[in-house]
Amino acid sequence: MSFAPAIQLEGLAIEAEKKRLLGPVDLSIASGEYVLVVGPSGSGKTTLLRAIAGLSVPAQGSIKLDDQLVSSPGKLSVPPQDRGVGMLFQGAALWPHLSVRKTLAFVLKPRKFAGSELNARIEELLDAVELSGFEDRMPGTLSGGERQRLALARALATEPRFLLMDEPLGPLDAELRSNLLERIERLHLDQEWTTLHVTHDPQPVRSIASREIRIENGQLVENPAEVTE
Amino acid sequence: MLLTLAGVLFFIVALAPLLVTVLEVDGEDIADLFDPRTLALLGRTLWMGLAVAVGAILVGAPYGFFVARTNIPGAEFFRVAGMLPLLMPSLMIAMTWAVILPDLRGATATILMLVLATFPLVSLFCARAFERIDARQEEAALLVGGWRAVLRADLALVFPAILTGAALAFTFAVNDFAVPDYVSSVGPKFNVYADEIKLNWDQLERPGKPVATAIPMILLALVTLVPALRMRRAGAMSSLAGDFKAPATIQLGKGARVAATLFCIAVLACGAFIPLCRLFYEGSGLPAAFREGTASFAGAIATFQKECGTALEQARNNLRASMLFSLGAALIAVPIGAVLGHAIERSRSRVRASVVESLTLLPIAAPAILFGIGTITLWNRDVTAGFYDSQAMPLVLFVGRYVAFATLLASGAVAMLDPKLEEAATLSGAGPIARFVHIVVPALKGTWIGAFVLVFVFTMRDLDAAIIVPAANKMVMMRVFNGVHFGRDSYVACLSLLVVFATVMPGLLWTLFARKRLEVLP
Repeated sequence: MSFAPAIQLEGLAIEAEKKRLLGPVDLSIASGEYVLVVGPSGSGKTTLLRAIAGLSVPAQGSIKLDDQLVSSPGKLSVPPQDRGVGMLFQGAALWPHLSVRKTLAFVLKPRKFAGSELNARIEELLDAVELSGFEDRMPGTLSGGERQRLALARALATEPRFLLMDEPLGPLDAELRSNLLERIERLHLDQEWTTLHVTHDPQPVRSIASREIRIENGQLVENPAEVTE
Repeated sequence: MLLTLAGVLFFIVALAPLLVTVLEVDGEDIADLFDPRTLALLGRTLWMGLAVAVGAILVGAPYGFFVARTNIPGAEFFRVAGMLPLLMPSLMIAMTWAVILPDLRGATATILMLVLATFPLVSLFCARAFERIDARQEEAALLVGGWRAVLRADLALVFPAILTGAALAFTFAVNDFAVPDYVSSVGPKFNVYADEIKLNWDQLERPGKPVATAIPMILLALVTLVPALRMRRAGAMSSLAGDFKAPATIQLGKGARVAATLFCIAVLACGAFIPLCRLFYEGSGLPAAFREGTASFAGAIATFQKECGTALEQARNNLRASMLFSLGAALIAVPIGAVLGHAIERSRSRVRASVVESLTLLPIAAPAILFGIGTITLWNRDVTAGFYDSQAMPLVLFVGRYVAFATLLASGAVAMLDPKLEEAATLSGAGPIARFVHIVVPALKGTWIGAFVLVFVFTMRDLDAAIIVPAANKMVMMRVFNGVHFGRDSYVACLSLLVVFATVMPGLLWTLFARKRLEVLP
């Protein structure tokens, strides 16, 4: 029996200043998959994630998340914040003026968390990424691994269905990389995320990925088979 | 919503005064543009502006380089003090040098005075560009071709910044009314275009004539400013990588170090210290005391105190009005500029962003006198008579005139802010207002302070727009202007010093309490 894919791209093309950055790309990803996206620098890997997140608008084609049309040519039918997407940006993109606690509060407050409930949720999130005790630290004082874990907690706070990661292990040494990866894998399974993980160094991630796709010059080199169960 | 509000306010205070004046222009006004006298004035103003821009580069570029990158003693002091000539009203530089060198009049005087008043624009941009060159770029150049290669590489990177400063110096110069007017009040007359606009405005029977007269100036300023700012933006961004490594201080040899220090001292002396000392000299009654043979230090201090007291007493209301209007204009202009600047930089359409940025430049490109005329034309109507006569009118005038600076600073600063910070907030569920208020505003605190100080300073030292709008006539610079023309004495000198003090006060307070340098440029 065939299921609707969690993420479906049909003829997706992204352009910036009349230059083609990606596509046309056709891609289907099943719910709960952990997909590794590899390819050389500038090949369009980040562009793919940004398009799924709704941070860029397609020039052609469409994006469906859980069978709902979210992007079509020149249009975002569903804004980024309503797509159920969490994202780990390259370099973490933490807000330099907000402490660890305030970073998470910034995400949680609009979601109606307040008072003791807010504090409890912050503690829970920090516990999940092993950052308890770091509440009052500023991003600038955190190590590379801690910064990535805070970014992960920030993504986790939105309770996403899809996790998009852009080189999350980039600046970390082997031990930290292994720790973070372990944590990501656990969360991926616990939260039942559909995950896309962009990297130029796939080796450490291959063991947890369910599939690997390759992008070169904006094109999907290995188009995966149809998603079926 | 914020953007709509800011856009509407910008249109009302900054664009509508200029648009409404265009409606007054008829065919005869345009035809008059081509009469030989007007063309001669245009040509004269153009070469005066170019001479000022070149002079500002010759003085400002080395000054900016020395204070930002070399080991001259007191570089930090020179850097901060180098802002003083820009903070002082250009009229004050002119009125002091005109007394020190009484034979210096006409075109030469105008150009020299305006170079002294505008070189900080070049040095500011130049210094910022020099310190934003990544150390590794210089090291790479050094390895491939020594210091000559470093110089070639660096000059290419700072050139857009120097050009932007020079373009602003050009625009300031061609629109300046007070300096050519003052240095021509005795001796050879040096009429410029801004004079002509004022003259045509005074001929009340033809309201379109001053507007038509100003059109070539506006076009000229836009043609200069738009490409320069675009180049600077591209240059500044290309030189800033995420893992930026600050460049090393260049160790000058002993001889070069002395020469560079003397150069900076001379520039600063001519642009600020000599005019300030001359004002103190006049304010302390020393010219008369020397004539009468009664000069003494104690006497000078006593006279200075007394005259400052008199100036404060007599012009208290003007000083207070100037400070309140400047404070109000800065408080209103900075939020509008912040929202517009952010929108310009983050717009999905580069074409739309370019159009909005060019519109933003209009109030700077238009001569101040024309802006004043536009404000009168727009608001001096029966239905708005109450508003026109109120204290809100100067605020509207100055917000409209200077909001462009806040917008440009904001768009430049937002260009330096990693868009991922805002994208992360978007994915976290923050709406546009929350993103702007909680992410953009706190991340660019320094820019808002810089923009606030800049708008405050420009409003405090404004004379050319204030002279036209009656409600703004109570600005303290108007009293100084009238004072120097109708009986210059120690009172005028003391009042001028009080104006300078009040103008630099916000920047001074920030530096003292924040204990860090005020960064006006992103």
